[in-house]
Amino acid sequence: MNIQFKKGVLELCVLVVLCRKDYYGYELVQAISKSIDIAEGTVYPLLRRLTKEGYFKSYIQESAEGPARKYYQITEKGREYQAVLLEEWNRFITGVNALIGKEAAA
Amino acid sequence: MRKDQFLAQLRRSLGGMDETEKKEILYDYEEHFRIGAAEGKDEEQIAGSLGNPRVIGNSYRIEGMLEEPSAGGGVTAGSVLRAVFASLSLTFFNLVVVIGPFFGLVGVMIGLWAAAVSLPLAGIAGIVALVASAVVPHLFSLSGMNPGFLVFAGIGVSALGVLAVIGMLLLTKMFIHGVAEYVKMNVRIVTRRR
Repeated sequence: MNIQFKKGVLELCVLVVLCRKDYYGYELVQAISKSIDIAEGTVYPLLRRLTKEGYFKSYIQESAEGPARKYYQITEKGREYQAVLLEEWNRFITGVNALIGKEAAA
Repeated sequence: MRKDQFLAQLRRSLGGMDETEKKEILYDYEEHFRIGAAEGKDEEQIAGSLGNPRVIGNSYRIEGMLEEPSAGGGVTAGSVLRAVFASLSLTFFNLVVVIGPFFGLVGVMIGLWAAAVSLPLAGIAGIVALVASAVVPHLFSLSGMNPGFLVFAGIGVSALGVLAVIGMLLLTKMFIHGVAEYVKMNVRIVTRRR
């Protein structure tokens, strides 16, 4: 699939997933790559940018199994942004599906 | 590719970022490798699913450029040095390349202004001469010029002059605007972070 398109969608995916709970990087990457086919390394640059823009916060937490892990937590600003993107996404796919439906019918 | 190779390539492709930033970025991948290994994956496998480290490194550079200057990130020694270097090379460029044509253009502007202002003055002078030759004929003579021609030429030249002055006002405004834009561009080049 088109890379630029995927990148835009990936941003939405990261926001949606982090709305559920806090994830550490590895766990988040697995959660996303389970559903969509991506180069896992593309998630970290995105996480870093969205954190810098104030959509996420990160904190380090010790884990039971071993060394500390860096967790990402969505902020209020991030939740708002997620809602906006999700709305845009839904409108977009409704439009695309309507077009596809018409083409198929014609 | 092994973990060390992956991290080394990633570090290289981050280029001129400052060390703290590089460390922060690399930390995420170190942790990723560590947890992956704890789950029983080997380094080759983990590096393979991460993707090409050079491409990943470039995407940090691109995202850095997209960021608004206000978002995070204070003044660092590197950014100051970059700004100083940028302003030095800009100053050099401005002194050597820009300043000559700039003064040339200023000269042209002054010349055009003189021409534009002299037109209505000439027109007025013609009419003044006509009046003077009628009032004090022993001091002024029209030296054979047709007084009718003098009146119409005077009005015509004055009108032309007014148009020229209006034109010059517009041109001067554009010139000043252009200079201001250029100065602003210089400031942007010097103050931007990378």
